[in-house]
Amino acid sequence: MTEHSKDKTGLRGTSILNPSRRQLLALGASAGILTWLGPQRGWVDLANAATPPTKPTGQVIVGLSQEPTVFHPLLVHIEVDEAVYFNLFSALWRVDPKGAFQPDLVAEIPTVENGGISTDGLNWHLKLKDNVKWHDGTPFTADDVKFNIELIQNPKFIAGRRAGHELVRDIKVLSPTELTWRMEKAYAPYPAILSWTFLVPKHVLEKETDINKPAFTTSPVGTGPFKWVERVPGDHITLAAHDGYHGEGPYVETLFVKYIPDLTVLYTQFQTGDIDYIGLQGITPDHYDEAKGLADRTVMPVPQPFIENIAVNTGLSVFKDKAVREALYYGMDKKSIIEQIYYGLPSETESFLPKQSWAYNPDLPKHQFDPEKAKKILDDAGWAPGSDGVRVKQGVRLEFINSTTAGNHVREQAQQLLQQNWADIGAKMNINNLPPAVMWGDYWMQSKFESAMVGIGFMIGPDPDATDFFSSRSIGAKGGSGQNTTQFQNVDVDGFLAEGAKTVDLDKRKIAYKKMQEVTRTELPYLPIFQYAMVSGVKSKLQGFTPNVNVQENCWNANTWYWAS
Amino acid sequence: MSTTTTAMLSPGSPKAARPRNRALTRFRRHRLAVFGFSAIIVLVLATIVGPWFIPFDQLHIDLRYRFAPPPAGGHLFGTDQLGRDLLVRLLMAGRISLTIGFAAMLVSTAIGVLVGVTAGYYGKAIGIVLMRFVDAVLCFPSIFLLLVLAAFVHPNVLTLTLIIAATSWMEVARVVESQIRTLRERDFTKAAEMLGASGRYVMFNELLRNAVGPIIVAATLTVARAILMEAYVSFLGYGIQAPTASWENMLNNAQQYLGSAPWLAIFPGLMITLAVTSFNFVGDGLRDALDARFDLA
Amino acid sequence: MANFLISRLVQSLILFVLVSMIGFAVLHLAPGGPLSRFALVPGLSQADIARIGHEMGLDRPLPVQYWEWLSRLLVGDWGQSFRDSQPVLAVIGSRLPATLELMIAAILIAIVTGIAIGIMGAVRRYSIFDMLATVGAMIALSIPTFWFGLVTIYIFAVKLQWLPAGNRATIGGSGALLDYLHHLIAPALVLALVEVAVWSRYMRSSMLDVINQDYIRTARAKGLPERTVLLRHAFRNALLPMITLAGLELPNLLGGALVAETVFTWPGMGRLFLDSLGYRDYPVVMGILMFSAMLVLLGNLLADLLCAVADPRIRLT
Repeated sequence: MTEHSKDKTGLRGTSILNPSRRQLLALGASAGILTWLGPQRGWVDLANAATPPTKPTGQVIVGLSQEPTVFHPLLVHIEVDEAVYFNLFSALWRVDPKGAFQPDLVAEIPTVENGGISTDGLNWHLKLKDNVKWHDGTPFTADDVKFNIELIQNPKFIAGRRAGHELVRDIKVLSPTELTWRMEKAYAPYPAILSWTFLVPKHVLEKETDINKPAFTTSPVGTGPFKWVERVPGDHITLAAHDGYHGEGPYVETLFVKYIPDLTVLYTQFQTGDIDYIGLQGITPDHYDEAKGLADRTVMPVPQPFIENIAVNTGLSVFKDKAVREALYYGMDKKSIIEQIYYGLPSETESFLPKQSWAYNPDLPKHQFDPEKAKKILDDAGWAPGSDGVRVKQGVRLEFINSTTAGNHVREQAQQLLQQNWADIGAKMNINNLPPAVMWGDYWMQSKFESAMVGIGFMIGPDPDATDFFSSRSIGAKGGSGQNTTQFQNVDVDGFLAEGAKTVDLDKRKIAYKKMQEVTRTELPYLPIFQYAMVSGVKSKLQGFTPNVNVQENCWNANTWYWAS
Repeated sequence: MSTTTTAMLSPGSPKAARPRNRALTRFRRHRLAVFGFSAIIVLVLATIVGPWFIPFDQLHIDLRYRFAPPPAGGHLFGTDQLGRDLLVRLLMAGRISLTIGFAAMLVSTAIGVLVGVTAGYYGKAIGIVLMRFVDAVLCFPSIFLLLVLAAFVHPNVLTLTLIIAATSWMEVARVVESQIRTLRERDFTKAAEMLGASGRYVMFNELLRNAVGPIIVAATLTVARAILMEAYVSFLGYGIQAPTASWENMLNNAQQYLGSAPWLAIFPGLMITLAVTSFNFVGDGLRDALDARFDLA
Repeated sequence: MANFLISRLVQSLILFVLVSMIGFAVLHLAPGGPLSRFALVPGLSQADIARIGHEMGLDRPLPVQYWEWLSRLLVGDWGQSFRDSQPVLAVIGSRLPATLELMIAAILIAIVTGIAIGIMGAVRRYSIFDMLATVGAMIALSIPTFWFGLVTIYIFAVKLQWLPAGNRATIGGSGALLDYLHHLIAPALVLALVEVAVWSRYMRSSMLDVINQDYIRTARAKGLPERTVLLRHAFRNALLPMITLAGLELPNLLGGALVAETVFTWPGMGRLFLDSLGYRDYPVVMGILMFSAMLVLLGNLLADLLCAVADPRIRLT
């Protein structure tokens, strides 16, 4: 298990009310020239392109560094489980790489224009497809949708995510393909949340005695392009093409999801061809060069919404002083970290929001690596160098621990570089890396850490509302219920967050969030380093693979994958 | 298979000087053991003195010279992934690894001897309870002990020594206990008891002296085992923390560069193999040397 | 004999409970817990996570949790995994065959090769063969297993492409026996490496002990062919202590299997143990702990019994 699974919020996209403009993905050098053939076909190497086969043929082996273990998509689960959900189940609609919604189980995306959503955003009317069948042959109906939402709302059910669903009231089934409901209040992220709410069959689950441990999980039934065959625990999961699938494809007969715990071995199996697609965690930056040169492999860096940063516990006396945080930021050689240690793959950032978000503020002051300025700031603030070179002020030494999850070699190198950078300005950083179970337990949640090097997705879904991380009411160590582990408290930011959350006027929200980013850039509870790019790799003959920044797992469109002959 | 020392020569007898000399001669005849012993001496000296002669600092990061193959830029063994000189890191790492090895050996031997001698001498209830306790600890897979204990503490030389010792003392205790149990029935023991010697005197002055052979052997092998344990722990992510180097964490960090920078893995790997092999040779030689049966041959 | 058996059984039972108590306490008190994996999941608040903890029964006092776990264990309910909610026994059972396959293959290789080398080394003491065997064994004992495994994969799977890079069988393959064997070669050999070294050293030492005994000299004096002397008399007697050794080596083999399983992506119990420990999947970890404790206790008991049966001179405590 790695910390990576904790970092992702995954979703970035749009609300139905306002599609965003997104830049297309940058691609690394690859074997052929890939052409975008639309959200369904994805990137295709035209030189090698063939049309998809008429009958599902062949097999695809996906390699993941963690093991999917939860097969009921509404139960609480971790990121890697979604690799299976995308293929076993369907949602009402999906988000494509450009951020637009594509119908999955609905006949058309409900919008204000077509009457699917009322102008105030409260009343919804959905029209479903009429040709959808569960894997066991039973037709999919609106009753299933009602069942799913009510299950999530059931307080006894250990739901993975309740946000949004808890606002749904009065679900009425008008016909097997139509249903309506009312929202308690307008909630802009709800359409995006529905895009990753995979639906489970009512006729199977209503018979279960224990809703939290149903027998369903040993052989799940869904409406997705692939159906469940078997699971060999600790080894792999086998899915087979479902020939009654209501959407495009699948063109591949069998899909294997293989679990390979060791990252080096994961890469080795990609090299030897034992796996066709290297998923979660991807190829580490130090193998990128070598991987680019592999024959018959297409390797591409894919930007992600996570921001790598140094999270600083402002409750600690040494970090209470803003001058310290500022100086540490000036003392960081970000450029070397990004270009040397990470081989130029991620992109530098000053904000906690990814560049692709509509609320991203591009005008934040740029970072300068200036150790002399850092020293001056510290001198002026009264941090005088002690006899061993470490600065001291009123008995408090500028010495602290930095932690991250053990086992991430590249990140550990960055840590050591920072250690040297900061030693140069008189700050002593001690490294104490921990296993994930320890790092993310109370140590993180109850703000017992001193500083941490983490990759965090600050948005919740596509929405830039980061109340969880910045609101003064979200401090777990002080009884709050959010993720404000840096114990950041700022009246202005609280104000901006409230403003942004209560209005649906995009321009007003944009202003609020831009101002907020200015404050966090100055206050620096998180010292931002870069925005992630994961290197994913696929065999060149595999057509249809498309990375998608808006979803948690890149097996999202496996139904369109096929082998070029 | 532990060797049994015959009690032909009891301690304190006028012939006591000679078996030691004979043992020494036998040891010297065992060429591999001599090689091992010399290798250890060389390693210890090199790690203590070596870094003073090398112009590079083991902690100094210089990203312009990452992955320099040996002997580029004056780096005899090349540089690592952060541009640090590999040779000086190797030697400094040797200090850490050998310290942990020796220290873990001392601690585990001390505990093992204490438990083993007490259990072997007193026998009956005390013996049973102690040896069953040893059995209980042996029921835990060493990986469990290592991982769980490591989660409680910050891994540094001290804590790692203690944790590794905690997984190694049982073997020593077993060996010692079975030795003492046998020796307890010998005439010289009964004689000492009849003369009024206290339990503690008999345990430590009479029995232990005769059991010294297998204990030394077990101790030597524990060093080897401790070094390998640290490699194991590093592999699982709980070894010595960066930026301090140990042979084991260097080896672990180098595994992903096997293809691109093999020297990063080869050198620490060689060091570990050399050190552990040397200790094993020495242990083997000691076992042969202290086996008094060969006095007869 | 019966007294001995009963008393040892009772002792083993007490040990079993003791081990369970220590293991349970240490595991639950270690920092971090099964809720850590939900820490940064989007949309889960601290209250949600606390609720999940409550559902799992993690907020009850430790002795209460222990008692509930133990009383269920004694009636055969080993609990359910925190991760996939499957019964622990089923989870362990599904991984056991893979580990057994690996261990048995390694043991076979180790015994046959180790004994042969050991005997040859003893008979031709200080010869070139003996020297090489000794040095080889020592080096084999000194290489960290994970390192050896990774190098093996690098050479044989990546560069030469003779052997697969891991796993038990080719996914989507025919499931033929040959395929299984092909995948078994590398991990079994890597695992057996250390065992071969250990067995050959002990066999050699044991043979040496025996060869110098009077009865061997007598047998030779009787004019029996050397081969008979060695095989019928020496070998059989030298084999005795190896039984004890087998009992003692079992836990080491299990530990070595764990490393081999990680490096070679082998879906066995060792890998399960590591993963479960990493996720703090308490029921599964305790299940494996108890399982391994049972094995060790049983192994010790058997070894002691066999020795007592074989050699009546050995005093039984």
